[in-house]
Amino acid sequence: MFKKLLVIIFLFYFFALLQSSFLSHFSLFGAVPNLVFILFFLLVFFEEGNNYQIIIWSAIAGIFLDLFSYTYLGLSVVLLIIFGFLLKKVQSLLKDTEDKYPFVYFLPLFIISLLAYNFLLRTEIIFSVVYSSVIASVFFYIYRIIFVKK
Amino acid sequence: MNSFKNFSINKKNNSWVKILIGGIVVLAVLFILNIFVSPIRNSFYAISSPIQKTFWTAGESASNFCSSLFSGGALSKENANLKSENQKLLSQVAALQSIEQGNQAQSDVSASCQNSGFSLLMAGVNGLDNDILFINKGSADGVDEGMPVINQQNALFGKVIKVYKNFSQVMLISNKNSVVNVKIQQPDVTKPEIDGVVKGSGGLSAFLDLIPVDSNINVNDVLVTSALDKSFPKDLLVAKIIQKEKNDQKPFQQAQINLFSNVKTADNLFVITNYKQN
Repeated sequence: MFKKLLVIIFLFYFFALLQSSFLSHFSLFGAVPNLVFILFFLLVFFEEGNNYQIIIWSAIAGIFLDLFSYTYLGLSVVLLIIFGFLLKKVQSLLKDTEDKYPFVYFLPLFIISLLAYNFLLRTEIIFSVVYSSVIASVFFYIYRIIFVKK
Repeated sequence: MNSFKNFSINKKNNSWVKILIGGIVVLAVLFILNIFVSPIRNSFYAISSPIQKTFWTAGESASNFCSSLFSGGALSKENANLKSENQKLLSQVAALQSIEQGNQAQSDVSASCQNSGFSLLMAGVNGLDNDILFINKGSADGVDEGMPVINQQNALFGKVIKVYKNFSQVMLISNKNSVVNVKIQQPDVTKPEIDGVVKGSGGLSAFLDLIPVDSNINVNDVLVTSALDKSFPKDLLVAKIIQKEKNDQKPFQQAQINLFSNVKTADNLFVITNYKQN
């Protein structure tokens, strides 16, 4: 558990660095994919974690997002906690018997969450969401193939 | 039966109390974090800076490589020119070390600014987030909020909005909150000056606004800073007009512009330390 947490912290940090430096050179109309948000969303979507885990992931992801931006420290933490709990609630309502983690649920939920997040933080909306959604779709299948037990 | 009901109501109340306490604790922690935000951010940037700089440089190289791949059609044409230039470049390769590049940039900017009387501080670019640029110079180096940031060609990038001990955040002129007073450079000095503003539209782009309808502006006109609001020194390069948007129903003209500040190729920038926003 502790090892897994360390790996998650490292990944969030690595992704935060990547999106604020390397990916700035591959921007689409100035927008870069929000890798930290994508990883956070994947973790909440796929992992059967309890409420405390959602809070921990939100705290780690939110702090890294805020440290590399010009907002109050913790604003993203609060937003991610809210999105995390809402996502789990929606997932429990949209139970699918055949496929536990359907892509048709993942993508719309991801787009709505990122739209709301970008809107609330007054950052670039359209291109960032489009770019992130494409990357998130790829990550979704990678995550599902590697980590989700059939 | 009654006691069972009371138990379930108490349980519900308890969970609400827990959420309330949890929320208050989270808000209290975040409030405390924001009191110490400057040292926290400075330490974090200090740790991350070497890795971030490496990623930034790697991204720049990878981006250049990819763009050369995508422009494959023009490659054969360029090949002949490149071959002839190759020998020249080989002799210069040794001189193109990063430190020397910095020195060259420093001397370029000194030459271009010696008449303006600017005192300049060279800063490396570490990262970018939503039209906010991170540079590796802070209050310890004499950087202060409101100071303009330019490159070696005297092109305006933006101004410092947040200073930490060893790092600063620069709001680019493409930021949605940025408004820069500009004038259109006239080849004929006898013509009246045309003033306008460059407003950031996010995503590393901006547009020209508030140009009077009766003013004649043209594609490829160059915009430079005017000293109207004293935010920036006058005559810094800002952008070039690429498309006019004239609408008779609007009191002012607008235009699409191409900013001279290319963040993606900016390794070293310069903070004008003796010019501060009033």
